[in-house]
Amino acid sequence: MNALEVSNLRVLLSGKIVLDDLSLSLAPGQIAALLGPSGCGKTTLLRSIAGLIRPSEGQIRFGKQLVSFSSVHLPPHKRKIGYVPQEGALFPHLNIADNISFGIDTAVFTKDQIRQTTKEMLALTGMEGFGKRMPHQLSGGQQTRVALARALAIKPSIVLLDEPFSALDAELRTELRTDVITLLRSQNTTAILVTHDREEGLVSADVIALMRDGKIVQSGTPEDVYSSPISPTIAISTGDALVLQASKLSDGSTDYILNPVKSSAQSVASGHIVIRPEEIKLNKSVTSGSIHGLITKIDYYGHDAMVAIDIADQHLQVRIPGPFDFNVGQSVALEHVGPVRFFANN
Amino acid sequence: MLTTLPAPFQEQPSTGAQQRSRWRIALLTAVGAVAAISMIPFVYLLVRASDKPIDEIVQLLFRQKTLEVLATTASLVICVVAINLVLGVAIASGLHFVQVPFRRLLVIPAVLPLAIPSYVFTYTWVALIPSFSGFAAAVFILSISTIPYIILATLAGLRSIDGSQIEVARSLGLNPRQTFSRVVFPQIRGHVSAGALLAGLYTMSDFGAVSLLNVETLTVSIQNMYRASYDRSAAAVISFVLIAFSILFVLADESIKGKSTQSQLIKSLSVKTSPIQKGYLRFVTVAVITAFATVAVILPFYVLLTRFFSNPVPIDWASLASATISTVSVAAFGAIIALVLSAPLGLLLSGGSSRFATVTNKIVVIAHALPGVVVGLALVSIGSKLGPLYQTTFLLAFAYAILFLAKSVTSMSSSLARVPNSVKDVAATLGMNQWAVVKKVIAPIAAPGIGIGTILVFLTAMKELPATLMLRPTGFETLATQIWSFGSINRFNEAAPYALILVLVAAIPTFLISRPDKDTHSYELESTGGQK
Repeated sequence: MNALEVSNLRVLLSGKIVLDDLSLSLAPGQIAALLGPSGCGKTTLLRSIAGLIRPSEGQIRFGKQLVSFSSVHLPPHKRKIGYVPQEGALFPHLNIADNISFGIDTAVFTKDQIRQTTKEMLALTGMEGFGKRMPHQLSGGQQTRVALARALAIKPSIVLLDEPFSALDAELRTELRTDVITLLRSQNTTAILVTHDREEGLVSADVIALMRDGKIVQSGTPEDVYSSPISPTIAISTGDALVLQASKLSDGSTDYILNPVKSSAQSVASGHIVIRPEEIKLNKSVTSGSIHGLITKIDYYGHDAMVAIDIADQHLQVRIPGPFDFNVGQSVALEHVGPVRFFANN
Repeated sequence: MLTTLPAPFQEQPSTGAQQRSRWRIALLTAVGAVAAISMIPFVYLLVRASDKPIDEIVQLLFRQKTLEVLATTASLVICVVAINLVLGVAIASGLHFVQVPFRRLLVIPAVLPLAIPSYVFTYTWVALIPSFSGFAAAVFILSISTIPYIILATLAGLRSIDGSQIEVARSLGLNPRQTFSRVVFPQIRGHVSAGALLAGLYTMSDFGAVSLLNVETLTVSIQNMYRASYDRSAAAVISFVLIAFSILFVLADESIKGKSTQSQLIKSLSVKTSPIQKGYLRFVTVAVITAFATVAVILPFYVLLTRFFSNPVPIDWASLASATISTVSVAAFGAIIALVLSAPLGLLLSGGSSRFATVTNKIVVIAHALPGVVVGLALVSIGSKLGPLYQTTFLLAFAYAILFLAKSVTSMSSSLARVPNSVKDVAATLGMNQWAVVKKVIAPIAAPGIGIGTILVFLTAMKELPATLMLRPTGFETLATQIWSFGSINRFNEAAPYALILVLVAAIPTFLISRPDKDTHSYELESTGGQK
């Protein structure tokens, strides 16, 4: 039984199709990352799951419970969803403790229980001692922690995070992301994380769902979507990629600039090949038989470097681990080590 | 702001510091002068009231009649504010949250009553129902006159709330009603209270409607004492009751506002709540607004137009034209004086909090709460001693400036404060001197807001009646005094053209201020500003 099952969802916002025939399912405890350019419908999908938008077609299930299907529409306050919107949206008129306990049902829990839960959530998110502060006294990262604590306090069936880290600087972002993911996993929470940061998605999630124009175009494990993209454009949305001219030959081999086929086999299809920049190995010793090019630029990042190489009339980007011993103007041999991903032109 | 110029302004530190302190001394002196001017009515009343022996004062304050009038005033204010709170907040919430057709156009009937003075409302309703009179009638008229203040203030508050807060509250298990009471209302409380303050002060200081409807409030009492017996000391004593009342209101509003914390969070106002689609709510919203528009806009206009066209007495076009010109020019004069007076205080307030600025601002706000009758009384007495100033349009315009200075100061300081310091810094690094920064950066950014404040004073001054009646030069007629001079309802036909012109002329600035056709945030200014 899946914790979340979205099937054939279609959402119209002021007459415009924002989500179209979208399907997604998550097993209990899985964390999914929704990846895609801005405006592709990521936030709309989250808001539909939360019940803040009413889809015009398709259905949404939480486990066995049907929450959205044609005339059925469970209102958001009955869905038990932990929703963390961009920048947290803490209630500015309430202190941190009151923010966290905001959604706990006072009819079900006693005051002591609520206080206890609030305390636990403060501890869980590393915010002990901040209960009496007001939201505007916290930094951006602390606000995000509180927003998450508030969402978890109602013991939600699913947590939806809408770019929760986008307002933070790089260092804090990594730290907070690690904390949040660890926390979600320790609670065995099913969660969806919306992000436009490719690495953030790959690092955090069990399932990556790639969105384009209101549809999920590919989903799978991070390794899957990274190493087996379904198209050159999709490849770019999970990481840097080189897209090179290539043709498929009748003997099954693929002819492209790093693998010139000398055989007499006929070309049966022309198209492109996708290579990740780290799948090309460089070698200083250039022999007569090797494929070689000229280094035109080196962008140094510390842990690795991106090397620009001119080979024939093509420009390639190659990622090499640091430390290294290459210089601009140097001639190097290139070798493609990795899967051959051929996409025929249609 | 100008008092805290960034370092790049000063080429030589020492002369810069000298300039700065000279500038500050000039500013503080100017603010002191403004405070003194605002104090004139209080000082006058104090001097007048002290003419009377203390036992007489006590007797006057506690006689049956005073207590009755006090009770009437209090219950009138309570009824009007209560109706306003319920209806005004409901209409504003409907406009903000519910998907209704022509949403923006529906704001117009909520704003337009601002252009109609209470005495014109009264005339039109008496024309419709000849027996229209008494306490309930006054509650009705003053409610429709003042609901716009609550609606506009509430709308400003609602627009300042980040939509994602509402979504989070819903996802945390709150139904729409709980979301309103636990998330929305606590955050708009300050705005609603500001609107209620304006409505309450308006009701308390209203003169036209209550006297036409035979409801004796404190304002009417003061006017009667002044007119009937020329017992100005008694009028001054009763004025203090009114002032005490006003101060009570201002304090209540401040304590409510103090509790509501304004958010300084990083806000993504991009999130708009999707409007509520529920059929019955849409129907109720449209029905309530239509009903309100009918009684507060459509019927009054209908009466004015029919009386205008069916007028058996030929219209005196010459006097109509001269009254219009007089009204517009003296109101504009008053607005300009208010603009000039508000500049130093606005500058000081926008430059951060100083005790002096805060205290002066309180004085200005309480002067704003004074009824026209009281300020009129003070300036009549002082003016009659000043000789040449007495019975001039200058004195009248000056009275307008004192009465409505708070509106001008509020928009002045908030517009100046809205100019970000970083922008001034950047301008300075780009090689602009102090004056160039004021001229090319600060003025263009702040000008629209300051303009709105000035228009607000102009609008209010046009409708002002009691002070105008007392202070106008003999023979000087404004639209308001002309309408009033036809006094009895039997001659309403003759008053109708003046009323129609006044409402039409006032409708233009009203529209400009609120721009109901645009979905902007200019409501904020409205909520800080309009009395009478």
